[in-house]
Amino acid sequence: MTAKPPKAEERKKRDSSFSLFFQSKNLYKIIGLLVIFVFFLLPVLRLVWLSFVDDGSLTMQYYTEVLREPATWKTVKNTLIVVLGSTILALVLGILFSWIVAYVQLSGKRAMQLFIFLPFVIPSYITTLAWTQFFSASGPVTAMLSWLPGDLQAPNLYSIGGIILLLGISHYPLVYLFTVNVFRKIPRELEEAAATSGLSKKRAFWKVVLPLALPGIASGGLIAFLSNLDNFGIPAFLGTPANIRVLSTYIYEQVVGFGPSAFSRAAVLSVILGLIALIGTILQWFLLRRSRVNETSRSDSTPRIYLSASKQKLLEVSLWVFLLVTSLMPLITMGALSLISAYGVPFKLENLSLRNYEYVFLTDSKPLSALSNSIQLAFFTMLVCLVIGTAVAYLRFKYPDWSTKTAELFMTIPYALPGTVFALCMIFMWLEPIPGWNPGIYGTVWILFIAYVTRFLVLQVRGSYTALLQIDPSMEEAARTSGAAGWVKWRRILLPLLFPGIVSGALLVFLMALTELTVSSLLWSSGSETVGVVIFGYEQAGYSTYSTAFSTVLVLGILFGGGLFMLLSKLWDRKVLKTK
Amino acid sequence: MIKVNNVSKKYGSFTALHAIDLEIGEGEFIAVLGPSGCGKTTLLKLLAGFMGPTDGTIEMDNLILASKKRVLPPEKRNIGMVFQSFALWPHMTVAEHVKFPLSYHPNKIKEGKKELQERINDVLKLVGLDSLAERYPSELSGGQKQRVALARAIAPLPNLLLMDEPLSALDVELRMEMRKEIQKLHRETKASIVFVTHDQGEALAIADKIVVMNQGRIEQIAPPEVLYTRPETEFVATFVGKCNLVKGEWRNDQFIPAIDSKNVWSDLGVTTSFKENGIYPVRPEQFQLMPPEKNGLQGIVSFVQYQGHEIHYTVEVGEETWTIHESVFTTRFATGDFVSISLKNAPVQTESLVSY
Repeated sequence: MTAKPPKAEERKKRDSSFSLFFQSKNLYKIIGLLVIFVFFLLPVLRLVWLSFVDDGSLTMQYYTEVLREPATWKTVKNTLIVVLGSTILALVLGILFSWIVAYVQLSGKRAMQLFIFLPFVIPSYITTLAWTQFFSASGPVTAMLSWLPGDLQAPNLYSIGGIILLLGISHYPLVYLFTVNVFRKIPRELEEAAATSGLSKKRAFWKVVLPLALPGIASGGLIAFLSNLDNFGIPAFLGTPANIRVLSTYIYEQVVGFGPSAFSRAAVLSVILGLIALIGTILQWFLLRRSRVNETSRSDSTPRIYLSASKQKLLEVSLWVFLLVTSLMPLITMGALSLISAYGVPFKLENLSLRNYEYVFLTDSKPLSALSNSIQLAFFTMLVCLVIGTAVAYLRFKYPDWSTKTAELFMTIPYALPGTVFALCMIFMWLEPIPGWNPGIYGTVWILFIAYVTRFLVLQVRGSYTALLQIDPSMEEAARTSGAAGWVKWRRILLPLLFPGIVSGALLVFLMALTELTVSSLLWSSGSETVGVVIFGYEQAGYSTYSTAFSTVLVLGILFGGGLFMLLSKLWDRKVLKTK
Repeated sequence: MIKVNNVSKKYGSFTALHAIDLEIGEGEFIAVLGPSGCGKTTLLKLLAGFMGPTDGTIEMDNLILASKKRVLPPEKRNIGMVFQSFALWPHMTVAEHVKFPLSYHPNKIKEGKKELQERINDVLKLVGLDSLAERYPSELSGGQKQRVALARAIAPLPNLLLMDEPLSALDVELRMEMRKEIQKLHRETKASIVFVTHDQGEALAIADKIVVMNQGRIEQIAPPEVLYTRPETEFVATFVGKCNLVKGEWRNDQFIPAIDSKNVWSDLGVTTSFKENGIYPVRPEQFQLMPPEKNGLQGIVSFVQYQGHEIHYTVEVGEETWTIHESVFTTRFATGDFVSISLKNAPVQTESLVSY
C-alpha cells in the first residue's frame, strides 16, 4: 500500500509531460495564428462591424441611408461598367500576347516580355499621367492629327472610355503572366492528336487549346478584375476632373470629406465593394470547378507555329509598335513635356528648361521629404517583410498543414482587399487598437509602416516560397546529414541558393511600397507624405508640369534599379550558382 | 549495430510502416527492396532522422536514436547519406562538398588544416575525383556527380551509410559500373550500408542481405541467393525474379500438380508456407521443355521471344499460362508446338554460396 501512491503520481507526471509536448506544439500554432489573425483579419472584421454599429448599438441605418442615395447606384453602375470593360480589354490583350509569345515563332521574345512587364514596375498613376501628356494639346497625338485633313481631335482620356483603356493596358500583363505558362504547358501532342483526328488548326484552338487554358485564363481574369476594382490612381486622375466616380474614389471622397458619419458611410461602401470582389471570385471558382487539367505537364517553350518570313516580320513589327506606343512612348512624352516651362505651351526648343525640376527639387520642400519618407518606409517595410516573410514561407514549406495554410490565407486578405478598403481597415484598427485606448499611431508615419507591412508581407511570403519550391528538398537534407543545422545550414546552403528568389520578392515589396498611392492617400498626415501623395496633390491642384517632372525622375530611378537587379541576378547565377 | 524495434509510422490515417523489426550488423550491406509505396523510403527517412516513428524505437550502438517522444535530428547522428538526385550544392566545388561534412559532421576533423586537406585528398582519390577537385557540379557528368555524392557521404567515416536509390538517375551502362564502385567503397570504409532500391537485379548483385518490403511490412530478410531460390511468400517469389506459381497438392514432400495428377515433382527446397497453400513456385529456368512424346505435363507454346542468351517461351498448360526460359543451345520450339514440361533436378541452396 505504501509503495502505490508515488507510482501513480510518477505515471501521472510522465503522462502530463508527454501531453504537454503535444499541447505546446499546438499552443505555438494557436498563438502564431492568433497574432496573424489580430494583424491581418481583425481589421477587416472591425470594418464590417463598424458599418453596422452606431453609438454602440446595432443598426442598419447607414445601409438604408447609403443604398437610398442615387449617387451610390450611379457609382456602382460606373464601377461595373469600368471594371467589366477593362477586364475584357485586359483579357483580350493578355491572351492574345501570351498565345503569340507561347506558340508563334518570333525573334526577340525576351525583349518583348520586358516591355510587356513595364506597366508592372511603373505605378499606374504615373502611367496615367504619361498618357494624359501623350494625348494632351502639346503631345504627339494632337500634333500628328493636325497633319491629317479634317478636324480630328485627340480622344478625351478624362472619360469612362479613357479609364477603361488605361486600366486595361495597366493590367493585361497580369493576364499574360497567368496564361503564358499555361499555354506552354499544354502538350503539343494534344494538338497533334486533334489534327490527326481531322480538326483544323482553328477548330483545334477552340476545342482543345482554349478549354485547357481556361484555368489560367480564369485566374488571370480574376486578378485583372480585382486589380481593376481596386485601382485608385487611374479613376482618381482621370475620373475626378470629369466627375466620374467609381467605388474606390467614392470611398476616398467620403473619408477625406470628413462628414459626421464619414467613416461609417465609407465602411458601408467598402462592404459593397468587397461584395463585388467576392462575386467575381465565386464566378471564377464556378468556371474552374468543371475543368480538369493535368498539373504535371512540362513547360514547352519551343514555337509550334511557323509563319512565312514576311508574315513573321509583319507580326513582329506590329507587336513592337503596339508595345512601344503603349508602354514607352507615353513615358518619353512625359519626360519631354516635363521640360516645357509652362503647361500648354508648344514643345519647342525656346520653351524648354529645367525650371520644373528646379521647383520640384529646390523650391518646394515637399517632394524631397516625401521621397525620403517613401524610401525609408519602403526600405524598412522590405526589411521586416524579408525576415518575417521568409520565415513564414519556410514554415509553410516545411510544415504544409492546416495551420500554415490558414496563416497564408490570412496574410493574403490585406493584399487582396481594395486599397481604399484596406486603408479604412487600418484606420479602424489602429486608431484605437483596444477600444478606448488611442496610442497615437494614426496620424503618424507609423500607421503607414504597419499598413505597408500588413499589405505587402504576402508578396515576400510568395516570393520566398516559390524560391524554396525551386530547390530540391534533398539539398537541405544533404546539409543535415553532413552535420549542418540551424544558422550554418542557412548561411552555407539555403541562403546562397534562395538568394535571387528572396531578393526579387523583397524588391517587389520595396517597389510597391515606394510608389504606393491608394493606402497612403488615406493614411498620410502632414510630415508623412509619400511620393504618391505628393504627385496626386500636384495633379489635383493642376500643377501637371511639376507632377510630370517628379514622375520622370521616379521612372528613371525605377528603370535604373530594375536594370541593376537584372544584371546582379544574372551575375549571381553565373558567379555563385555556376549556371551556364 | 543498428536495431529497429517494432517501428510504426502513420501519416494521418494511412499506415506507411507496420511494426517493423530489423537488425543491421557492423559493416553489413543491406538492400531494402520493394515496389514504390512499400514504405522503404519511409524506413530510410526514419533511419536518417528526417522524421520520427509513431511507435517503436531505433537504436545505434545501444544509444536510442528515435522513439515516439524524442528524435535525434540527422545532424547529430553518425550517418552519411546519398540521395537519388545526388543533391549536390551548385555553388560549391567538388573539394568543398567533401570538406563540408568534415567541418560540421559529428565525426568532423578536429585536428589542424593539414589533416583536413589530407583527408579531403584521400577521399577524392578513393572515388577517383582527385583531378576534378576544383570543378563545380554543373561541370560534371552524371557518373562524376554520383562520385561526389558518395565522397561527401563517406568523408566523415559514418557508422551508417544510407543510400536512396542512388543509381536510378544514371543510365544502364553507368549503373553497372557504379555498382562495383559502391561495393569497393563498402569494402574500404567498412561502414554499414542501407541501400534502398526498387531494382531487384541491383539488390541481388550488391547486398549481403536483402530486406523485401511490401505495403509497409517486411516480407522476408535473407541473403540474395537464399531469397531467390527459397522465397517464403508469393510476393517475394514474383517480385524478385519471375516465378510460376503452380497449383497442386503436397503429399509427403511430393508435389502433384492439379492440372495433371500423373506427374509427381520432388521437393527442391520449397518453404513451408507454400506447401501449406498447395503451391509449387517454379522459376522459368527450372522448367525443361521436351518434345510431346517425352514424359511430363503437356502444353502448347503460345509465344516465343528470342532474347539473345536465352529463349522465353509462353506455354499454355491446361488453364494456366507458364513462362519458361530455355537456353539457345537446346531443342527449339515454335508457336503452336505441343511440348512436354518437366522440372530440372538441380538442388536448391539454403546458404549463400557467393562470398563478398
